[in-house]
Amino acid sequence: MVQLTLPKGSAPKKGKTWPKPQGATNLRQFRIYRYSPEEGGNPRWDTYWVDMDRAGTMILDVLFYIKNNVDPTLAFRRSCREGVCGSCAMNIAGQNTIACTKGFDELPGGVITIAPLPSQPVVKDLIPDLTSFYAQHAYVQPYLKTVTPDPEKEWKQSEEDREELNGLYECILCASCTTSCPSYWWNGDKYLGPAALLQAYRWLIDSRDEATGERLDDLEDPFKLYRCHTIMNCAQVCPKGLNPAKAIAKIKHMMVERVS
Amino acid sequence: MSSHDFITPAKMARGLGSAKSGTETHIRQRVSAIALIFLVPWFVYSIINAMSGDIVDAQVWAAKPWNAILLILTAGAAFFHMRIGMQVVIEDYIAKTGTKSALLILNSFACIALFVTVALSVLKIWIGAGV
Repeated sequence: MVQLTLPKGSAPKKGKTWPKPQGATNLRQFRIYRYSPEEGGNPRWDTYWVDMDRAGTMILDVLFYIKNNVDPTLAFRRSCREGVCGSCAMNIAGQNTIACTKGFDELPGGVITIAPLPSQPVVKDLIPDLTSFYAQHAYVQPYLKTVTPDPEKEWKQSEEDREELNGLYECILCASCTTSCPSYWWNGDKYLGPAALLQAYRWLIDSRDEATGERLDDLEDPFKLYRCHTIMNCAQVCPKGLNPAKAIAKIKHMMVERVS
Repeated sequence: MSSHDFITPAKMARGLGSAKSGTETHIRQRVSAIALIFLVPWFVYSIINAMSGDIVDAQVWAAKPWNAILLILTAGAAFFHMRIGMQVVIEDYIAKTGTKSALLILNSFACIALFVTVALSVLKIWIGAGV
């Protein structure tokens, strides 16, 4: 449901401005969302000055620079640092993406804001609670379902059918798309969101899967599927260049196909 | 501690289950949109032309069979499409169940009433002209 104001205690306030590194000539200002449930109170925007000559080339490098040189209490998730695991998804300069593949050269001028993914509860600082997101992913049963007994070796698939999965299987579940979707902001408890629906389509069109009808049954709902209004934020922010909106449109096409 | 603290994520994601509906509404919205792609430009063009004369000229124009038929079709497609669109807006923006239900019913009544009003007005002009 639309909520035009932040819940009580959620509006970020002005925070601490950390000192500039000494002797640095190439400084850049970052405003980072800070929140700690142990400390209580509202979240705050802390200001950091980063020596860009020492920080590396990616936003994740900036966060490491701050954590190692300025403020060790800054919390963020990261793992692979090469765009595979999706752990470091966050909102950078107003756009959801993953910090490890977002380069300085892609940033706009001026102060850069870094915040956790929108619309999800915050565990700490840049770490969102993605429990609901994962549960919605589980709802679409993202695995092969068959009634035919398992073959001796493997389920076979033609090269053409395998190609159908390109642009779908690459999703890393970073949640950038889902948490950028206004429809998901308003109806996140009912609407499955772009990431889960992209995966739903990935299994709907898998030539080996034998549960297509049941999968469509589980999706056919004014909220779970049809709350997508093709806003396209999902496709715009996906760090892997995928297009969940297109996948959702194709699910709708399958729905129409089976009643006409 | 809130009353939802012990609700599991799976329970939340599954909710009340799939309504097994929505496709018909999706088709109706798309089909009415296709109709409006043709009807709205005709309607706007015709209204601009009708405004160049007086009320009698406009009545003569509306009394022509094809104009009357297209006017009623335009109103039908527009209010039908509007009802579906408004329903989504109400569902998205109104939180209270009672208010939401009341507005959804009002939306249906208003769209039907508007269509009947337009249709009867056009028919009155058409029949009144003795065509």
